[in-house]
Amino acid sequence: MPEVMSSEVVVIGGGVIGAAIAYYLCREGAEVMIVEEDDLASGASGACDGFVSLQTKAPGPHLRLAMESAQLFPELAEDLDVDIEYRRCGGLLLATSQEQMKELRGRAKALKAEGLEVEILAAGDVKDFLPEVGKEVKGGSYCPLDARVNPISLTLGLAKKAQEMGATILRGCKVENIVVTNNRVREVHTTAGSIHSRRVVCAAGVGSNQIGKMIIVDVPVLPQRGQILVTESREPVLKTLVAGAEYLGTKANIQALMPADAESAKLGLGFTAEQTASGNLLLGSTREFVGFDNQTTPEAMNAIARNALRYLPWVEDMDVIRSFAGLRPCSPDGLPILGTIKGIRGFYLATGHSGDGICLAPVTGVTISELVLDGETSLDIAPFSLYRFK
Amino acid sequence: MGSEVTDETNGWQEAWEAAENGAVAVMDCHEEIPCNPCQEACPNGAIRVEPHVCALPRLDPGACNGCGRCVALCPGMAVFLLDRRERNGFARVTVPYEMGGKPVEGDVVQVVDGEGKALTEGKILKVRAWGGEAPTLLLTVRVPEEVALKVRGVRYRLIELDEGLEVENAPPLLDYPICRCEDVSLQNVRETLRSGVRSLLTLRRATRVGLGYCQGLFCQSSLREELAAAAGREAWKMGSFRVRPPVRPVKLGRLGGENA
Ligand SMILES: Cc1cc2nc3c(=O)[nH]c(=O)nc-3n(C[C@H](O)[C@H](O)[C@H](O)COP(=O)(O)OP(=O)(O)OC[C@H]3O[C@@H](n4cnc5c(N)ncnc54)[C@H](O)[C@@H]3O)c2cc1C
Ligand code: SF4
Ligand code: SF4
Repeated sequence: MPEVMSSEVVVIGGGVIGAAIAYYLCREGAEVMIVEEDDLASGASGACDGFVSLQTKAPGPHLRLAMESAQLFPELAEDLDVDIEYRRCGGLLLATSQEQMKELRGRAKALKAEGLEVEILAAGDVKDFLPEVGKEVKGGSYCPLDARVNPISLTLGLAKKAQEMGATILRGCKVENIVVTNNRVREVHTTAGSIHSRRVVCAAGVGSNQIGKMIIVDVPVLPQRGQILVTESREPVLKTLVAGAEYLGTKANIQALMPADAESAKLGLGFTAEQTASGNLLLGSTREFVGFDNQTTPEAMNAIARNALRYLPWVEDMDVIRSFAGLRPCSPDGLPILGTIKGIRGFYLATGHSGDGICLAPVTGVTISELVLDGETSLDIAPFSLYRFK
Repeated sequence: MGSEVTDETNGWQEAWEAAENGAVAVMDCHEEIPCNPCQEACPNGAIRVEPHVCALPRLDPGACNGCGRCVALCPGMAVFLLDRRERNGFARVTVPYEMGGKPVEGDVVQVVDGEGKALTEGKILKVRAWGGEAPTLLLTVRVPEEVALKVRGVRYRLIELDEGLEVENAPPLLDYPICRCEDVSLQNVRETLRSGVRSLLTLRRATRVGLGYCQGLFCQSSLREELAAAAGREAWKMGSFRVRPPVRPVKLGRLGGENA
């Protein structure tokens, strides 16, 4: 007989989002259980970049959410026992045409109007930040507040601290059903038995659509594959985060910044580069809708390498030692889905973070913890409601 | 056909002959493993990983002067030096050493084969250190010629407690890097396992074992043993490292080349 467990709050999913929510709930003294089908950071949070980037966010609620989140990182870096490798290293967004430059200028203006520091750089100024750039690069924008973090350490660190504060983590345990009676969540059925709980948070990443079905709610989250190349470890060569304007184009669906050729457009190719604390360069990336297939493909690896050479020709002689692919929990507009469900009390959504989950994890944790415990949030999350899609 | 036979023996016959005139590298690299530091290591261009990135390293004994760089830099401990200049039935073999303790010239040690089985005892003739902060030691030992090609390492004789020796005298083996590529110590792995890790992939996420050049090909089997010992029957999911392309490191310029 599977045992019957109980918890004040159940968090479904042990990715960065679930771990952050559990951490902030525990800080408020709540009793929390994380239910994870595989293992901590086994989903997107363990197969992604570590950009905590502000200038790539859409001006408006999205940017405000990210700025709030960015402010929480230094304190987290202090509080967690694991080194999350958080560095405010600054970020570059590079343009390869005058049209892209024009678009970046317009965006920089809008971002500045909301209080974000962004600087427009001419081609010559870019050289101050990078050893060498490709001839195609026409300039770009620089945001000094952009930062990077190790996403795996962040996830494991948050979960570990939550556990120290009393959270239970069930690994290898899949949520199979959620019982709702009298319009209230009562029980979560898992492969390890049933858990009595009146508050359930869905932070299941690309599994969220499946979780939604259990309570007959359509949660529009689709897996979007992103592939990354890993190079050998080198001495520090990249001080800042680097992305091509096409990265922003494919991410935020901005026509003026889409890749020019059909093959790249099909792959959703956009350049990203960062150097991890251990010295490896992570070169990205793609945006592909191929279901739950998280294999890497030769076409994409070739395209990423070719694209990387356009921006940073000096990576040519570096060894690529590995590749990986992750599935972003992608929402229709690329923004997270946060909040409650109409007609069912005790169910909370924290999913659809698309390509921003690492960056938005702290603010999501704080906000959802407030929502679960107090029923209201200090930050307005109405723009992220599930019902914006209807 | 002919070249296949040489591939299998990895040029050992030539190396054996060349060793009569002094130290020469012997490549014991048999698998299509993802690396080529040996090629980069050699200042004389004596090692080639050619014609394609998945080939085994080949040594040109004529170009090798026995400097030992490749021995120190191969992450798989798959190269050793052979020197038969004494021509009296004894050979000098140089192997990398990364266990704890401080070997010194003159020590008598056990000489072991690839599986760690003792072959014989031998005297350390020379100790050299290679590399910066955590150098690899190169130990040259003198052994009978007939076992020379089997030598893959040395170890200090296991300290037997009933001999009355203090336990403290035992070398601190826990410092041993179970994953050479990322320099993760056995101790670190054991501590992580104690915190409840139950799969190889989780172990990798927590410690970086298997994330380096070799993608876990070298350390995977030892890690499995550690995992099985720690998790036993409860290991709900041991898993394995998925080797992601490229199987061997490839230059980015080549991967991104137009006709790649
Ligand atoms: C290539 C790539 C690059 C990226 N780069 C960045 C970046 O630079 N910056 C950034 O901010 N974001 C980035 N992202 C996005 C980021 O990785 C995700 O937004 C984030 O990891 C999502 O976290 P999550 O916790 O929601 O999902 P996940 O990490 O996928 O976690 C969800 C967890 O839920 C579990 N689960 C699912 N269903 C069930 C069930 N039924 N029962 C129990 N458990 C279940 C899964 O096993 C999984 O572990 C990138 C993503 C990719 C793929
Ligand atoms: S011993 Fe020195 S010269 Fe000989 S192959 Fe190795 S690195 Fe080259
Ligand atoms: S393991 Fe790598 S470095 Fe060592 S000999 Fe083989 S190819 Fe060369």
